Amino acid sequence: MIYFDSAATTLQKPPAVAAAMQEAMDSMSSPGRGGYPAAMLAAETAFQCRSELAELFGVSDPARVAFTLNATHALNLANKSLVPPGGRVVLSGYEHNAVTRPLTALGAEMAVAEAPLFQEAAVAAAFDRLVTPGTHAVICNHVSNVFGFIQPVEAVAAICRERGIPLIVDASQSAGILPLDLEGLGVAFAAMPGHKGLYGPQGTGVLLCGGERAARPLLEGGTGSLSLQQTMPDFLPDRLEAGTHNMPGIAGLLAGVRYVRQRSGEAICGHERRLALLAAEGLREIPGVRVFSLSGLRDQAGVLSFLPEGRDAEALGDALGEQGIAVRAGFHCAPLAHRSAGTLDTGTVRLSFSDFNTQEEVYRFLTVLRRLLR
Amino acid sequence: MEHYLIRARSVTYAQRMQRVLDRGGIGSRIFRAPRALTDLGCAYVLRLASGDLQQALLILHRESLDPVQIFLFQRGMYREVEA
Repeated sequence: MIYFDSAATTLQKPPAVAAAMQEAMDSMSSPGRGGYPAAMLAAETAFQCRSELAELFGVSDPARVAFTLNATHALNLANKSLVPPGGRVVLSGYEHNAVTRPLTALGAEMAVAEAPLFQEAAVAAAFDRLVTPGTHAVICNHVSNVFGFIQPVEAVAAICRERGIPLIVDASQSAGILPLDLEGLGVAFAAMPGHKGLYGPQGTGVLLCGGERAARPLLEGGTGSLSLQQTMPDFLPDRLEAGTHNMPGIAGLLAGVRYVRQRSGEAICGHERRLALLAAEGLREIPGVRVFSLSGLRDQAGVLSFLPEGRDAEALGDALGEQGIAVRAGFHCAPLAHRSAGTLDTGTVRLSFSDFNTQEEVYRFLTVLRRLLR
Repeated sequence: MEHYLIRARSVTYAQRMQRVLDRGGIGSRIFRAPRALTDLGCAYVLRLASGDLQQALLILHRESLDPVQIFLFQRGMYREVEA
């Protein structure tokens, strides 16, 4: 199978990830629940994973790296920590349902910073207009999960800092490939999955917290600390981590993070962008195919959407699947992004690459697609 | 043998404290706090040699990692002491 659905989850992982998970299952119990070797080994592994994530994302205190189930869980924590029921939020036009559904549940007033695809300056200008006093939070994804659009989070962060409004960054598609300096940018929360660009296993996610106090738990329960107290601890990460940790997942995530740090995000991003550019150029040569990309893949990561004229995106996705090519078609859980790009009626077919894809796979995909569209 | 226990807010903080002390050349060991030392239950402590306490507290204070409590083990029992 050719796997081009890494924006959903990376399927191919570094071999060290599965090995670390197996080792954790064989040797680790629960961190913070005992002083015996299996518990302390788990605690050491969890701490090491927090520490390496903290170094990667500019967090000075590893305790402000909280483990979650996935990015959606992390985004829910961030949103529900900052946005009161009925509160006002400014968000980009390329957000995922992991952002908009919790905000809808909160009855939040959502002001969308609308801007055309791949127009960074327009995004920043839209935020500049909308971020006003009384805004409870600003939310911006770093890279669109549908179009790979790299949004100007640095500029948005500067606007938020200047006006004292907390910023939540959804780093679901950028973690592991683009730099993000949480404290340097003054970001309140950054949410990310462990199982995409960080190459950890599914069931892992991370919430980076810019400060100690703002985070509010979604779950209450045992933390291995202050057990006689019936309220959650007021310190991180315990405040956000009730219940038993996913130690095989955390051990696997640590192995994935080490792979990314050793390879470098820049190298991985460069590889993925080269593949996306190759695919974009090949797609443009096929009559009737609309490609969502600027020349040279400007302002775009290794995620590429296209739409064949007069063809149903889902049907084409299925046809590619039958030929052994895994892509994601439809709306990608991001109707807001499709509305912003003008594809809400059709959806798109999305290719998303990882460090384990090759040029040969892209050539094979183009050959199969040409045949299917004849 | 006389030694000190310094109590951390959680295992994660105990680990941070241990790393910082390691970098400052002070050895320590993490373990679960004896029940009698934790009025709110479930905590971790670092064990320090008695001669290391003052320097350890300076290092930890510089990193905003002050311990929650400090205990001296002497003549078979623990007693809380002031920083």
